[in-house]
Formats: sequence, C-alpha cells, structure tokens
Amino acid sequence: MAEITLEKVVKKYGALGVVHGIDLTIAHQEFVVLVGPSGCGKSTTLRMIAGLEDITGGLVRIGGQVVNDLPPRKRNISMVFQNYALYPHMNVRDNLGFGLKIAGQSPAEITRRVAEAADILGLAPLLDRTPAELSGGQRQRVAMGRAIVRNPDAFLFDEPLSNLDAKLRGQMRAEIKKLHQKVKTTVVYVTHDQVEAMTLADRIVVMRDGQIEQVGTPMEVFNHPVSTFVATFIGSPPMNLLPGTIAGQTVRLADGTEVPVPDRLKDFVHDGMAVQLGIRPDDISPVGHGLSQDGPGAEVALTVDLAEPLGMESLIYTRLAGQEVQAKLYGPRIAAPGEVLTFRLALDRAHLFDAATGKSVRVR
Amino acid sequence: MTVTVESRASKQAKKVALWLTTFVLMLVMCLPGLWVVLSAFRPNREILAKPPVWIPEEITLDNFGKIFGFGAEQVGIPVGSYFTNSLVIALTSTVIALIIGVAGGYSFARYRFRFKGGIFLGLMLFRAVPGIALSMPVFMMWSRLGLVDTKMGLIIVYVSLNVPFTIWLIDGFFRQIPQALSEAAQVDGCTRWQAFWKIEFPLAKSGIAAAGVFAFLTSWNEFALASQLTRSTDSKTLPVGLLDFTAQFTIDWAGMCALAVVIIIPALILTFIVQKHLIAGLTFGGVKG
Amino acid sequence: MIRALTTRRTELAPFLLLLPAVATMLFVVALPLIFSLWTSLTPYKLTKPNTLYDFIGLTNYIRIFGDWDFWEAFLRTIAFLTVAINVEFALGLGIALLINKITWGQRGLRTIMMFPMMFSPILVGFQFKFLFNDHIGVVNNALQSLGLTDQAIPWLVDAKLAMFSITLAEVWMSTSVFAILLLAGLFAMPRDPLEAAKVDGCNSWQVFRHITLPFLMPFAYIAMAIRSLDVARAYDLVAVMTDGGPAGRTELLWTLVARVGYDEAKMGQANAMAYVSTILSVLFTWYFYRKLVAARRYMGGAE
Ligand SMILES: Nc1ncnc2c1ncn2[C@@H]1O[C@H](COP(=O)(O)OP(=O)(O)O)[C@@H](O)[C@H]1O
Ligand SMILES: [Mg+2]
Repeated sequence: MAEITLEKVVKKYGALGVVHGIDLTIAHQEFVVLVGPSGCGKSTTLRMIAGLEDITGGLVRIGGQVVNDLPPRKRNISMVFQNYALYPHMNVRDNLGFGLKIAGQSPAEITRRVAEAADILGLAPLLDRTPAELSGGQRQRVAMGRAIVRNPDAFLFDEPLSNLDAKLRGQMRAEIKKLHQKVKTTVVYVTHDQVEAMTLADRIVVMRDGQIEQVGTPMEVFNHPVSTFVATFIGSPPMNLLPGTIAGQTVRLADGTEVPVPDRLKDFVHDGMAVQLGIRPDDISPVGHGLSQDGPGAEVALTVDLAEPLGMESLIYTRLAGQEVQAKLYGPRIAAPGEVLTFRLALDRAHLFDAATGKSVRVR
Repeated sequence: MTVTVESRASKQAKKVALWLTTFVLMLVMCLPGLWVVLSAFRPNREILAKPPVWIPEEITLDNFGKIFGFGAEQVGIPVGSYFTNSLVIALTSTVIALIIGVAGGYSFARYRFRFKGGIFLGLMLFRAVPGIALSMPVFMMWSRLGLVDTKMGLIIVYVSLNVPFTIWLIDGFFRQIPQALSEAAQVDGCTRWQAFWKIEFPLAKSGIAAAGVFAFLTSWNEFALASQLTRSTDSKTLPVGLLDFTAQFTIDWAGMCALAVVIIIPALILTFIVQKHLIAGLTFGGVKG
Repeated sequence: MIRALTTRRTELAPFLLLLPAVATMLFVVALPLIFSLWTSLTPYKLTKPNTLYDFIGLTNYIRIFGDWDFWEAFLRTIAFLTVAINVEFALGLGIALLINKITWGQRGLRTIMMFPMMFSPILVGFQFKFLFNDHIGVVNNALQSLGLTDQAIPWLVDAKLAMFSITLAEVWMSTSVFAILLLAGLFAMPRDPLEAAKVDGCNSWQVFRHITLPFLMPFAYIAMAIRSLDVARAYDLVAVMTDGGPAGRTELLWTLVARVGYDEAKMGQANAMAYVSTILSVLFTWYFYRKLVAARRYMGGAE
C-alpha cells in the first residue's frame, strides 16, 4: 500500500516562498497529475516527495510513514526526469540494472528483472547500446524502464514528454497510460500540458503560485472549474470570459447585451453582483452546427472576423459584447470573414465567476 | 565561364595565402623550442662556433650525460637531485591540490550557498598575488617554522598556488554533468557519496585529469617562489637549477639546453594528452555562470 | 503537528567541502599578506632581526613613493603589460580567426598552440636569451649569414632592444591563451546570427564587428582573467634574460622587489613595494573577472 499524503507542505528558498502549504492525498495505485503554468511549484512539490529537495515545513508521508527526513534512496520511489538523466557512461542494460545493483541484488536476479522490464517496454534489442546511440523516444523508454525495474511504491514523473516532438509525445502518452494499467502503481506526474493532464490522470491537481487551485477528476475540473484560472487553463481553446453585472435574472454584459442567468446558478448570485460569464468555444456555435441543440440557450447574431478551418470543424473568431471570443463551428462548412451568423450560446454549460475574486459563484 | 575560372583561381590563391600564413605562424611558435632541443644534442663547441655551423656535424647525447653526472665530462650541478625534487614536489602538490580542488569545485558546481560568488572571487584574487611578493612573507614565516629549503615547504605553497585554478576547472567539469544524473542515482538507491563516485566522478574523470596536469605543470614550472624558498639539493627544483648554470663564470649553453629539454619533455607530453579537456574546462567554467 | 523548520546537514555541506581550500589559502596567502603588511610598516632588515618590531608607520611607503627608481619600474611595468597584453589579444584574435578558417588539421594546430602556454617562463626566458645572445645567438647568426647586418646586434644589452626582447618573449609565451580561448569561442559561435546578419545586408567587416566580436568578448575576458592571474610571471623572464639590466633599464616592479628585499635585505621597504604590486595584480584580476561576469550575464540573456 503506497498512499502518498502531503500535509501543509511548505517550501522556501531563503525568504522566497515557492510552495505555500499544500494538502493532498494520493490514493494507492492512483494516477495523479500536477498541472499548472511553468514556475508554479510543481517540480518543487514532486522533488519534495522524492526527497531531492528539503521540506521547509509540513509533512510528507509515503505508505503512512513520515519521510521528511528520509533520503531519496529510502523512500522506495522511482523518478523519470525531464531530460531522462540516463547515465551516459553505461549501456542500457547497466542503466536499467543500476538501482538493483546498488540494492545488492544477485546478478541473476538483476538479469531477470532487467529482461522483464525491457520486455514490457520493448527495449530488448537496445540493451547493449549507450544512451548516446538512442533516439529521444528510446531514451524516454529506457528512463521509464529504469523506473519500473525496481518495483517501487510510487513513480514520479517530471515533465517526461516535454522534450519529444508532438507525434512522439502522443505515442508515449499512450504508452505511459498502458504502462500504468499493466504495472498498477501510485503515480505522481507533473506537466504543464493540460492535454496530458486530461488524458492521463485519474485525478488532476491544478496548481497556481505554489498553491493548489483545484483537485478533481478530469471531468470535474473541466465541467466545474472553481476559478477563472482553472477555467482558462484547462480546455483548449480556453474558455471565453465576458465581464458583466447581474441584473435580476440576467447577466448584463459590457455593451448592454442581456443573457439569462443559467438556472443552476440562480441561487448563487444576487442583484448588482459584478461577474464574469464563462463560455467555452464549444458552447458557442452557429445554429445547426453545434454540439448540443437542446437545453436552455440564447441566440445572438455575430459577425465572423476570422475562421480557421480544421476539417470537420472550424474555430471562429468573433466579437461578443465588444470583446473578442472564440467559437466552434461543427461540420465541414467554411465560414467567410464578414459573414453574419446566428450563434447559439449553450447556457446550461455556462459558468459565472465572481469578478472580484475570480472564483466560481458556486464556491463560497 | 571565365568568371568561375577566375574566382576559382582567386579562391585557390586565398587558400594558399591562408596556409602560408599558418605555416609561418607555426614556425614562429615551434622554431625557438626546436632550436633549443636541437642544440641540446650538439656539442658546446659547435654552438659557440664562429662562423656559425648551420648543419649539425655531430649529434650527441653527451650533454645529457654531463648534466646527469655520468659520461666523461661532468658539471658541478646536481641535476639528478633537482629532477627528483621537482618530481616529488610537483606530484605531491598536485595530488593534494586535486583532492582539495575536487571538493571545492564540486561544492561550487552543485550547491547554492551564501557568499558563493564572493568566495570564488576571493580564491581567484588570492591566486593573483605575485609569487615574488608572496615569497618574502612566506620566506619569513617558513624560516620560523623551519620549512625553508624543505620539499614540504614548497609543496604547501604549491598546493595553495594550484587550488584556485583547479577549483575553477573542476567546477566547470562538474557543471557540464547534469545534476539530474546524481539525483537519478540517489532515487535509484545511492547515497550522495555513492552517486558521486559511481556517476559524477567517472564522468568528470578526464576533466579532473586535465586539471591535474595543469596543476602539475604549474608546480613543475614555477620559479619565483622556488628560487627564494629553496637553498640546496634538499629542495631545489629544475627551474632554479637552470639558473645555476648562468651563475657560473662561462655559460654552458649546451648543458642548459639539455636541461631545458628535460624540463620541456614532460610538459609537452602531458599537454598533448589532455589538451582537449583542458580547453573544454577553461571555456565551460568561464562562460557558463 | 507541523514542524517549523527542518534544517539539514546539506546546508553545511558546501562550506565543509570548501573548508580545505579556504583554509589553505588563508594560511599560505592571507596570513603571509598580513605579515607582509606589518613588515612594510617596519624598517625590517634580514640582517637585523629586531627591527621587525619597530613600528614606523607609512615611512616605507612615503619613501618608495618619493623614489624615482620605484616610479620608473612601476611605469615600465604598466607600459610593458599594456603593450604585451594588447599585442597578445590582437595576435591571438588573428590566429584564432585564421585557424577557424582552416578546415584541415585544426586539432593539430590547436595542440601546437598550447605548447608555449605550458612552457616554464624560466625556460622561455632562457630560450630567448639563447636565441638573442649577441655572440652565439641564432638570430644574430642568421642576420649576419644573410648579410643583413655585419655587426652583432646587442639584443639583450641595449636598453631599448632588451625591453623589446623581453616583450617579445612574453608575447610568445602568452598569446596562445588568447588564441585558444578565442578559437573555442569561434567554435561555439552559433551560425544563425551570422546568417541573419548576412541576410540583413552586413558585409563581412560589419558581421565581424557587430556579431562575431561581441560574441567573443566573454571568451576574451576569460583569457584576460586567466592571464591576469599570472602577469607576474614576467619576473621569471627578466630574471633570466637581463636580471633588470643594463643599469636597471629593464627593471620591472617584481625584479625591483626581489633586489631590494633579497639582495639589499631591506625587507620592510621591499614589502611595501610588494604590496603595491599585489594590489596592482589583484585589481587587474578583479576588473577582468567583473567584466567576465557581466559579459556572461549578457550572453545568458541571448540564449
Ligand atoms: N533552487 C532554487 N532557488 C530559488 N528558487 C528556486 C529554486 N528552484 C526553483 N525555484 C523557484 O521556484 C519556483 C517553482 O519552481 P518549479 O517547482 O521548478 O516550477 P514548475 O512548476 O515549473 O516545475 C520558480 O519560480 C523557481 O524560480
Ligand atoms: Mg518543472
């Protein structure tokens, strides 16, 4: 059982606070992704779990045991580094077996387990090569092999795919997911790429400036972002945000356009409240070219400024209430710049955020 | 058609000019040394001959026999013990400077700490103190400590002479090795000490060897301090010994040339072995903050 | 149950690792320098040990600053270093550019270039003393054999020629530091800015002036910083080539220090001079080190 818990974990470099009190429980065999913009403290958090960084305050437990003062080698974790960190003076076989050798395993056992790991990752033909003789994807696989060979309580990944090109990144993402299904182990995975977070995670932890902004399954985080930060960070293209004021049952946008307050949010707002209306591009579509046609909505005529056809869909740039918004047109139809189309806003999937705090109005 | 021919010709001319300049340059760099080496194998009378003898008529090893005290003729200068002294002093001071330098260089390369830049600069500035200026107070201190004219006295001085630059170089070599390698090893079960010896040290090895060669040659070649801190065959080194020759009434040019060759040869060989790493260390340590 | 702070041994580690280095430098350099400072405030003579305890304030400094011989040596040293280092830089740059152009045998050439750097200064001095000897030196022999001159040129005897010969020896010995580091800089130079500049319509001089040279400057500063650590090696050259002669006309600060301190046994006064030479060297190193750090920061921004 390797549950990882963080209790009010703090990291300071001198006077500079980098992680400001994180509470998080990662269940046994769970795949958790820490995601957030660069510099928000993800790596630092991961490295505190690994023992590579001193913990300034708070507690880190692995499998119930407080590990604050344990060096990395006593935590029974393994880690895949951003630049792979393969030992350049050893061949693939020795790279894989290094941890076992240090642990004092017998040569026969080492050979067996290296072969096993090599088999899982398809590394068998590469065992005698040195890291310099491998491609980026192969190095990545060796790094993962080195992680699994030791049978650790948890895998830690720090942006393992960021050095690969887009195509390979997609492939390796799938491999990591398959690997986790095969080798059921707790995983903490750091990335700044929300697509990786959405596709890989059992649970996503969105971080911002050294704090946890939201924790939830990918769908929770996507469907119920707690703040404008999460709303714009998760999902691509990002959610449109339109400033406005609550006037009775409507949101009055900057140019006076009135949009009804979604039913499910009615209880959370009051008259005169300054808000931001959030709608994903997928929820603004020309009538007849959207994802969902039923449910409450509002229709509005908008001028197409620019259309980016992507094949079966187009991304449309237009203006709503004096502000540039992005919309989606589904179907193989080309929209011309200047064309005026009636768009339907799927209000049942719209969000309202308190303009003062940036928090969702549902969060109190 | 004519255009290409012409430009090809001018390109050819440029190439020839390039090679010629380089050739002359290398000649200027090599000839002085080569002339000394050549003279070391000629009898003194040929060197002194007027008019000069351009084509050597006689190649001989007598000069070496003479300075090392075997063969027919001998000089009254104990080159053999100077050689041993130089070797012992340079080797010992190098080994010690390397140990201190690896520790210090690793510290600079791998840790952040207060006053880091200041300490680094301080070490360099200490290194900048002219040898002759340092020799006086050290001489006075060493006389009180009984270290004047001992190998130990010179070894201590040379260690301090070599530590700053060794640190500079080794810091550079370690910083070329990603820190993640040591971290990966620690996650893999190593202590930091094991990670150092199994991963970082093997990767920095050739660089450390280059730093060692540099330190060895600095000690091997040093004159200003050695000339004041040594007195007798107990501790005198080869560069000081070379000056013994000029103190004599007539200069024994051939003998000096032979001694010069003895001093040069190790320098040439060692330089040749490590030059690649040395350049890498110098530039990397300097350029990457 | 939150602990306020976990302090680990790791914070001490860097200092412990540096301790031997710092201790050595303090014992072998800093302590003697303090001793030297004290000595420079006394009339200490090696022949009269008790004079070490007479404090005479700045008398020695006042004396040397009022001494024309000192100023002459001081100014000669400055002039010598200025000329030598500028020539070394210019030559080194030229050589680096030249070798960078050559496509074949680069490594060998680079190795040959390193040799003078590894020569003992005392050997370089001896070598040039041998070459420039007015009777048997190969230079005069060659000039006479070629009929360019019929009498022996007094390379090391005439004051001006001797200074020239010493400078030549210094340049021969130290140019390679510049050449090697500037060549390393040229090797490390990225292609893109060069090509961008050419596309932008720069001629080769402009490319060199505005792209290549600024990129090389940090390498030049490394060379200068390294070189500045060893400026006093010129002492060895002079000691063997002319020993300050003729009549003190090639006396540099460092040879003057040795003469006053050891030959005349006036340690107090010699230490005062030595202090001036130390400050000179330290300022020199400090200046170039600062330049290097600044250039590095500026380069870091471009990466
Ligand atoms: N050793 C250090 N000293 C000071 N600040 C650091 C150090 N390491 C990281 N930081 C700072 O901590 C913050 C978080 O870094 P990191 O955890 O690497 O972010 P990321 O989320 O991109 O992985 C950054 O602002 C970074 O500048
Ligand atoms: Mg990171």
